Amino acid sequence: MIAEPAVTTSTPPAWRHRHLLDVADLGLDELETVMRTTDAMATVLARPIPKVPTLRGVSVTSIFYEASTRTRVSFEVAAKNLSADIVNIAASSSSVAKGESLVDTVRTIEALGADVLVIRHARSGAPYLAASIFGGHVVNAGDGWHAHPTQALLDLYTLRERLPGADLHGRKIVILGDILHSRVARSNLWTLTATGADLWLCGPATLLRGFEALARALPGDRRLTVTTDLRAALRDADAVMTLRLQQERMAAGLLPSLREYAARYQLTAERLRAARPEALVLHPGPMNEGVEIAPDVATSGRSVITEQVANGVAVRMALLYLLAGGRPAESADAPA
Amino acid sequence: MPRRSAVGGLDDQRAGERCQRLELERAWLVDPWTGREGVGSLLVEDGRIADLRWAGGRVAPGTRPELLVLPGLTDLHAHFREPGDEDAETIATGLAAAAHGGFTRVCLMPNTTPPVDGPGVLRQVLAAAAASGSPVRVDVYGTTSAGRGGLGLSAMGELADAGAAGFSDDGSPVADAALFRNALAYAGALDRVVVEHAQDPLLTAGAEMHEGLVATILGLRGWPRAGEEAAVARALAILDEVCRAAPTGARPRLHLTHLSTAGSLDLIRRAKSTGLPVTCDVTPHHLALHDGWVAGDRRWAWDAAAAPWAGSAVEAAPYDTATRVNPPLRTPADAAALAAGLRDGTVDAIATDHAPHTAVAKAVEYGEAANGISGIETGLGLLLAAVDAGVLDLPTATRALTVGPERVLGSALGAGGPAGFEIGAPADVVLVDRSEGWMVSAEGLLSKGKNSPLLGRELGGRVLLTVAGGRFAYLDPGLDAG
Repeated sequence: MIAEPAVTTSTPPAWRHRHLLDVADLGLDELETVMRTTDAMATVLARPIPKVPTLRGVSVTSIFYEASTRTRVSFEVAAKNLSADIVNIAASSSSVAKGESLVDTVRTIEALGADVLVIRHARSGAPYLAASIFGGHVVNAGDGWHAHPTQALLDLYTLRERLPGADLHGRKIVILGDILHSRVARSNLWTLTATGADLWLCGPATLLRGFEALARALPGDRRLTVTTDLRAALRDADAVMTLRLQQERMAAGLLPSLREYAARYQLTAERLRAARPEALVLHPGPMNEGVEIAPDVATSGRSVITEQVANGVAVRMALLYLLAGGRPAESADAPA
Repeated sequence: MPRRSAVGGLDDQRAGERCQRLELERAWLVDPWTGREGVGSLLVEDGRIADLRWAGGRVAPGTRPELLVLPGLTDLHAHFREPGDEDAETIATGLAAAAHGGFTRVCLMPNTTPPVDGPGVLRQVLAAAAASGSPVRVDVYGTTSAGRGGLGLSAMGELADAGAAGFSDDGSPVADAALFRNALAYAGALDRVVVEHAQDPLLTAGAEMHEGLVATILGLRGWPRAGEEAAVARALAILDEVCRAAPTGARPRLHLTHLSTAGSLDLIRRAKSTGLPVTCDVTPHHLALHDGWVAGDRRWAWDAAAAPWAGSAVEAAPYDTATRVNPPLRTPADAAALAAGLRDGTVDAIATDHAPHTAVAKAVEYGEAANGISGIETGLGLLLAAVDAGVLDLPTATRALTVGPERVLGSALGAGGPAGFEIGAPADVVLVDRSEGWMVSAEGLLSKGKNSPLLGRELGGRVLLTVAGGRFAYLDPGLDAG
């Protein structure tokens, strides 16, 4: 079923990773492979019965140490569409609640026959620990502040699908809000700058900590600007991604109040006028409408937020396939 | 494997026994008391230095004989975990590890369970050291505050009477500035040093690694330099205040341990220039490693200085919890500043902050992992790597492990310590084979703590034997007659 034109080009698609832990180490050729494979999965999703037998017999276990709706369900739907068996574990209702260590939990999951482990964890780097002991494939479904690879890939897919020419080179893309605590921002930073986008990070100074130094340290072919000035960030932007602002930030003294944050940094229709007329609005969810984003902007014609969710399933199908479905070069022989 | 023939007079001698006879011919000797180094011969008979002869004539530049002879080293800062956490280390295993690292004297931190906050626990620790049979000399700090709770003073006078080397709440700072002031004044009257772990608890709350580029990339909570420097500045201001008010004979002494930033050393440099009675130490891992190690970079700090962040230098998996330590590994520029501080005398001593942990305490998420590096066996190897790279010279490094620590501890405890290569003195000698490296491995470390980021790494300079107080504390298996 992956025998779609995009996958059967003359050059074999590139994919060199046993695990998906980060996007920083994905080459441009691998990003391209993910995009093309996602195209193929999107055609599957467009069918009346969006289900193929590609991963029949593959056992996927997801364990979420943090609450999640969309990512967890998205992986589940993606696995089921590929006919994989999936078991979901919520850490709060498992032995983890009895104090079982991550290492023991991963060993147990492996002993129960899992081929793929999808893990969400509040601690940065936890999927690396899992990967160091798990015999199969580990997919990072978000770790602490560090990375959210599938989110960045679905954002990349969505932007390429919706921006004219499917090319991000030179496009001004703004990520707005709580950058410091955001794994979504950190992962998008690598994928978007790799594709040549002109990336801007914008938010209150306390939530940008460390990123100015990062911008200065990046190689010259990666374009990254860090600013507290929302007007400058939005001017002529091609796309704006707002991030969820969490209540804890006020308690930690990083911000005076939600009200002040909304007054200065909420993405409103008025502010969005500085961007290009066709500028896209993205949000990785879950949204606080009325805080980081005005409700009318979230539901406007420019918003691609629900497309992000739909594309998330196709991207996760593509990644499960690339990791567990054999070599992508063999995909032309995959059962239809 | 070193041959017995390389070392003369060793027939049938074993670890733990008195060193009957040891002939070290044409070895490279370093005497930090006189600052002299060069080719010479050393003879130990019946546990005492019997003869020392420097070879005459000039030594060709670049000459590096295979055998290096150092006086026994002193570690101002080690955690041996007993009582309370004997799964991580015991006094006996810690002493074996110390001897393997070239140390003949160790100063143990009091953050055990229960902590050494009164003479009872202190005597228990000293009794365990005596029972171990190790000839390595053990000194023990008492806590600064009662129970390390930070609320009142420990039993300082009773601890001093029982032989405490000084006072420290190491592992944590004394957060209460008023209590810290009182501790300095009271300890000064007891002629004991206060060893402070400089850290602002609020600036470093939840911190996982050095706050900088690598932390931003890895998404780990940052431990900013200001978290140390603000605490150093505060401690120095309080020390100045206590000095002005101190009665004759009750001059306080402050030692700041494991300093890790360039800015901290600038503060110490300025304070010393005004005559404040402050000393400080740095660790081998802060000198040789850097924050890139958390991301999997495995270059030495001096090799990384030109390009602090190079993705291409990453050769290990990121988030190795063996790199988690407090204070955290800093940038290559900070490491270079620590070396400069040693060279110009701002830094008085090198201390290992040997912090063994069980595998369980480290086989967890990075942010959940215990802080600390098992470092007493690799410290000398890291310093020799720095010497080989031209970052330090051998006499400076040796001084910071012998004369420097003696001065920090002060005259009240100095008697009985290593007296250098003085004819007739009990022998405190370390013999290092520089002709071959050794691979750091979990099996090779005598410490129970295998939490070293250097596992699998080759270090130059292998300790062949350590003689402490005239007895063999360590003998390389290739030399051991047993």
